[in-house]
Amino acid sequence: MSHPGLDIIDIHGAKLSRRGLLAGGGALVVGLGLLPAGAGAAASSNTLDPAVLSSWIEIGADNKVLIRTGKSDFGQGSIFTAYRQIVAEELDLPFEAITKVVSADTDRTPDGGGTFGFLGDVNGEGMPNLRKVAAYTRQALLELAAQRLAVPKDQLSVTDGVVSGGGKQIGYGELVKDQNLKLVIPVRGQISGFMGLAVEGNPPMKPVASYKVIGKSFKNSAIVSKVTAREMWVTNVKLPGMLHARMVHPATLGSTLISAGQIDKEKFPHSQVIVKGNLVGVVAPDEWEAIQAARQVATSTKWSEWKGLPGQADLFHHLREADFKSVPVNKGEKNKGDTAMPAAKTLAASYELPYMKHAPIGPTMALADVRPDGVTVHTHTQNAQQLRAQIAQMLGIGPDKVVIRTYAGAGHYGRSNGGNAGGEDAAVILSKELGRPVRVQWMRPDDMQWSTQSPAAMSDIKIGLDPSGKILTYQADHYMPAMQDDRLIGAVLAGLPVMRAPGDKENPPGGNTLYDPWVYDSVLNLEERGHSTWQVGQRESPVAAGLRGHAMRTPGQYQQNFPREAAISEAAALAGADAIQFRIDHAKEERLISVLERLQAESGWETRPSPNPRAGGEAPRRGRGVSVMFRSGTYWACACQIAVTPATGAVVVEKVTVVVDPGIVVNPLQLKRQVEGGTMMGVSEALYEEVAFDQSGITSRDWQSYPILKMADMPEVKIVLLHRPEVGTYGGGSEAANALASPAIVAAFHDATGKPVRRLPLRPAYMKQLLTA
Amino acid sequence: MVSIAVNGQVREVQSPGNTPLLYVLRNELDVTSPQFGCGLAQCGACSVLLDGKEIRSCVTPLSMAAGKDITTVEGLGARWAKQKNLSPENTLHPVQTAWIEEQTPLCGFCQNGMMIKATELLEKTANPSDAEIKAAFTTSGPSAHLCRCGSYTAILEAVRRAAALMKGGST
Repeated sequence: MSHPGLDIIDIHGAKLSRRGLLAGGGALVVGLGLLPAGAGAAASSNTLDPAVLSSWIEIGADNKVLIRTGKSDFGQGSIFTAYRQIVAEELDLPFEAITKVVSADTDRTPDGGGTFGFLGDVNGEGMPNLRKVAAYTRQALLELAAQRLAVPKDQLSVTDGVVSGGGKQIGYGELVKDQNLKLVIPVRGQISGFMGLAVEGNPPMKPVASYKVIGKSFKNSAIVSKVTAREMWVTNVKLPGMLHARMVHPATLGSTLISAGQIDKEKFPHSQVIVKGNLVGVVAPDEWEAIQAARQVATSTKWSEWKGLPGQADLFHHLREADFKSVPVNKGEKNKGDTAMPAAKTLAASYELPYMKHAPIGPTMALADVRPDGVTVHTHTQNAQQLRAQIAQMLGIGPDKVVIRTYAGAGHYGRSNGGNAGGEDAAVILSKELGRPVRVQWMRPDDMQWSTQSPAAMSDIKIGLDPSGKILTYQADHYMPAMQDDRLIGAVLAGLPVMRAPGDKENPPGGNTLYDPWVYDSVLNLEERGHSTWQVGQRESPVAAGLRGHAMRTPGQYQQNFPREAAISEAAALAGADAIQFRIDHAKEERLISVLERLQAESGWETRPSPNPRAGGEAPRRGRGVSVMFRSGTYWACACQIAVTPATGAVVVEKVTVVVDPGIVVNPLQLKRQVEGGTMMGVSEALYEEVAFDQSGITSRDWQSYPILKMADMPEVKIVLLHRPEVGTYGGGSEAANALASPAIVAAFHDATGKPVRRLPLRPAYMKQLLTA
Repeated sequence: MVSIAVNGQVREVQSPGNTPLLYVLRNELDVTSPQFGCGLAQCGACSVLLDGKEIRSCVTPLSMAAGKDITTVEGLGARWAKQKNLSPENTLHPVQTAWIEEQTPLCGFCQNGMMIKATELLEKTANPSDAEIKAAFTTSGPSAHLCRCGSYTAILEAVRRAAALMKGGST
């Protein structure tokens, strides 16, 4: 059977081709091709063999569809739910037709990029790669059907994978049967970069009004395997001849090795110590022996002293004195007018946020197998391609010699979105040294003390009110040390090549972006500035460690939205206005106004100024506060209701209401679970979380010294999803939710007690001190 | 050599008696649902049932489990089948069914311990109040069961659903 005219067909800029016939199978495989223009950097550093590039989508003769993505899953569920729905929708297939999802392995997936912004990009375009890929694929399938049925393409329609027109019909499976079809899609970018490859072009999209699959609460297939103990967690991967390793980390964040301890061979006959520069590891065939031997070696390993950190109590004094002048100041896109105009009333306040840990429930773990012909790393990373490039750089080999395999692991909220989750490089170094596969697992203190953290930040905010109580001027200066340190810490300790630190002795770090989009459009005089400096202790540390910063869920925006929203609530109080009405009065965007109005109704909000006029006395005092955010195409509004016990300073968050408008809600149940989870994390961050450190290093080492929210302290949570198909895009939902509670809780404390709170966390000792001041 | 019963099967194990049960299960017996979270009995990711009581396998020496009956998530279905005289083939414990129906796990790394704790609770208290559920997951063991992803609401709803399923007699 032959289908004339099908050599290479242009599909809205993609290329459809047939490479001969296949008996008994057949598929349409959708791959990628780098655009010649503007893609030179990608082509030169991309050493992947184009002949083995993995496909985005494969449609088989059995009507089964496989999809692939460079992103991984650490609890967002998007690749197993939203991505299936999006592809099924564009292809007019039922959800169940997408039978397999392949993710994040560098040799099996096409696009790379960090595991964030699943449903669009950070600018809120709402256009994930797979949506465009599926749209191209649909056009290619229509082209094939038009030829086969001899009916013009514009007279065809598709239902459940069957193309109909002119009284004839044919299924996708039949269209690809016995065919070797390939669709090559234009892309740009760098596969080993932070963002990975992006699909180019504008294939026609299915109209939102005719959606059937998007908007329904499909279940996440990964949950079944996790609940029935059939999931292949990274922690379960084993290789023949594998050794278990535990690290003996330096005594401080600036220590160098004086001498490594010896193994007591009578107690631990199969263990050995491996030393590479300042990297010390202990390996044994048996895991428990490795753990015990590492503890014994740690007690007799000698490190130099170092006291180059300011210590927790002096952190903000230190930051006030730090060099914020060497990095160019970033200015807000919406800055306008003259903030020096004289105001009737002025709020001038400074806000402080501590370092916080990603604090995954399971510490980092990686298994590396270094062989003469190449390296395989089994790990749990949010950016496998970037890790691949980093491991290649460390070893001085081509990325074509490195394969990263990614498995389910403990959520770590952005910590590995630039490559490493923590232990991969040490596993590679030890495996290379020993010629055997090595499994490195950090213990709980290693993970608390040697991982990166969400950077501390401080902001100075000045709000001028006009005589009517409206905001006349708004001025914010946000100060934060560098945030994205993706260096391999094991390689740093071993003295092996790594990417540059975000700022070093010769170069200042990048600027502090204004991450929190301004939403109060009726304010006429606005000035927002972002200031950056080096990571605390990094330049002073002989091993260039210090307090390494890293993006963590809602990165940077958390650090800027908390002070903004806390200050807006204080300004409302100064104006004698209700905190929700005050926000509505300064907004113009209809979506923002409607999430706020809905929040009023759903949270049982009593419209009145803060503080609560009934505040006072020794009985628990109740208060409420509000916050809003715009992130990745989604408008958020949150109300928190708290109770404060003056005698103890204890704060209980009783109820949190969150209203979310992401535009199109792809999967209501999954989005609700994401928002509930983020809300709990946010309450945890507001009430408890702060990295403790002294002049030498981090002293938080476990769940007692870095407490997080427990179930008994959970608030009642009410999530309200606003489905607005007319917006036309899929806004993000996994982030932002954790950032909303903090500013609403501090506003609620002010409401309850009349005392403004300007730093986190709200631990009882601090609250009691505020109340008695 | 120590003899332990894991999910209804008697197993002879070689590991030294001071080895924490977690490593015996994961490495020697390939029973991998209990996860290493802290090694300090502070989080609950490694929980198993030892003679029906939730314990932390990361700090429980093998010798303390000798001759005792251990249930992990792999064995929850069979445990329920035995209690209800059902066929163990393809039987899920109502706790597992509820966890799936409610779409409870986010990353899921802690959920092994959460399901073990839920099973322990519901075997003793058929119809727990919300306060009893919260207390079970917070104060009943060596430490609270911690979920960093914040799935507490989903856990609460799943325990309520599991309780209803268990009263119904089967899944």
